[in-house]
Amino acid sequence: MSINVGYFIRESVLNFRRNWVMTLGAVITIYLSLLLVGVFLATGAIVSNVVKSVEEKVTIEIFLKDGAATADVNALQTELLNNPLVGANDPNPQVRGTVGYTTKQQALDKFKKQMASSPEILDQLENNPLPASLDIKLADSHNVEALVAQIKTNPLFTKVAENPTKPEESIHYGEEIVKKLFAFTRVIRIMGIAIIAMLAVVSLIFINNTIRLAIYARRKEIGIMRLVGASNWFIRTPFLLEGVLQALIGATLAILTVSGLQALIMPRLKEIVSFLPVTTGAGTNVQIALSLIISGVVIGLAGSGVALRRYLKV
Amino acid sequence: MISMRGISKSYVADKPALYDVNVEIASGEFVFIVGHSGSGKSTFIRLLLRELLPSRGQIVVAGQDLGKMKSWKVPYLRRNIGCVFQDFKLLPNKTAFENVAFALEVIGKSKHVIRTQVPEVLRLVGLEDKIDSYPDELSGGEQQRVSIARAFVNRPPLLLCDEPTGNLDPQTSLGIMKLLERINNTGTTVLVATHDREMVDNMRRRVIALEGGRIIRDQDRGVYGYVD
Repeated sequence: MSINVGYFIRESVLNFRRNWVMTLGAVITIYLSLLLVGVFLATGAIVSNVVKSVEEKVTIEIFLKDGAATADVNALQTELLNNPLVGANDPNPQVRGTVGYTTKQQALDKFKKQMASSPEILDQLENNPLPASLDIKLADSHNVEALVAQIKTNPLFTKVAENPTKPEESIHYGEEIVKKLFAFTRVIRIMGIAIIAMLAVVSLIFINNTIRLAIYARRKEIGIMRLVGASNWFIRTPFLLEGVLQALIGATLAILTVSGLQALIMPRLKEIVSFLPVTTGAGTNVQIALSLIISGVVIGLAGSGVALRRYLKV
Repeated sequence: MISMRGISKSYVADKPALYDVNVEIASGEFVFIVGHSGSGKSTFIRLLLRELLPSRGQIVVAGQDLGKMKSWKVPYLRRNIGCVFQDFKLLPNKTAFENVAFALEVIGKSKHVIRTQVPEVLRLVGLEDKIDSYPDELSGGEQQRVSIARAFVNRPPLLLCDEPTGNLDPQTSLGIMKLLERINNTGTTVLVATHDREMVDNMRRRVIALEGGRIIRDQDRGVYGYVD
């Protein structure tokens, strides 16, 4: 049996024209659903970029008491450098961990630089109140917590810590920032998934309805097709194609809108938060476009499929 | 061609539409199924088309056991059965040619086959000069001829007709019956469900009479046999 491609395309386009109000409704619903999916994906990509860069900046600072024995500090530094969690021997030089030593004077200089705009605070300083520190940058910032736990039990650390009675207060790392960021991204993600799921259901219902109307409009033809022995797939294919066509149009519109929004918003966003790397790579954009198309087609096929099962007993 | 053994069909429990029906119809026969409304004629036809499955018993059509047939194979069964109905079931936005061609199109026949077979079958039913007319430009008898042409264009071995003359006047009905007879003469088995007394009595063919879902009579060269 030769498959008459022209017939199927003609039929789907004709259906499109016959029920264009419902079809438009379905297309718009898919478009809006996919648009939101796209916006959430793009936002997610930006946020995860930001989180990553913040994570990379996470360092552990061990504040040292004044007059800590140099030998102890050196021993602690060496020990940390050999700790696999620090990753000082990581094959990738870009991320390789380091353990640096900041003297009291260097800490003061840095502080003065940061406070340059309010010299009155600096005037209050009589002598240098800042401690020397060991600054650890990790190859993989996910190991921060584990490393901090190890350091806290290290007897050398207790010996040199700035606050000998409560040594855990002498160790600082940006846990709060990271935790807050992670909480933020989690909320965005959960909200996104909930809204996307809702919209997916709405789109399914809309497509379902459109196909039902299309079937109703053609019930006579379908009855005759069944009578003369058209195969089930022959009867179904135009409707499935119609669903996919609607989804593809919706997805294309959504992709165009998302990239339009990006072109519009991203430069301004970069201006406002210039200290954060708010970018999405070309690869990410392609991924977003692909996932929109794929989810659109899946929604289209599923909606048509459900409608066909319910209203077209072939 | 058709073999029904111990067929019962109930839509609701305890009220069978057909009860213990046994029929053998050989290839090439011309058979009338007669009976009042509600006697089971339509159920009989729908069972043969496998629109329905029997509650009990075995149906074999063209060598295939319908009870055991996979549902995706049903379309291929129907390609071997032509169907004619009281209400013609023509598509109003298609011409006579297109209506007949549609039946070939949807089973995947090539344009070449359509262009040769459709005019031929329209000539057989006597509509060669109405080939481009739309159904509303045709009389009832002509519309029924188009529908017979559509049923027969694929040369099925079996032709089922459900009240084919129900909407037609006696003169036109006679023409339709002559046409069915001609189709029967080509070797096609023809099964006509009807309550057109005159027709049955004129034709003198095998008559199966149904009443209350049972076969009450099955005779060769029979008559309608009811007094309304």
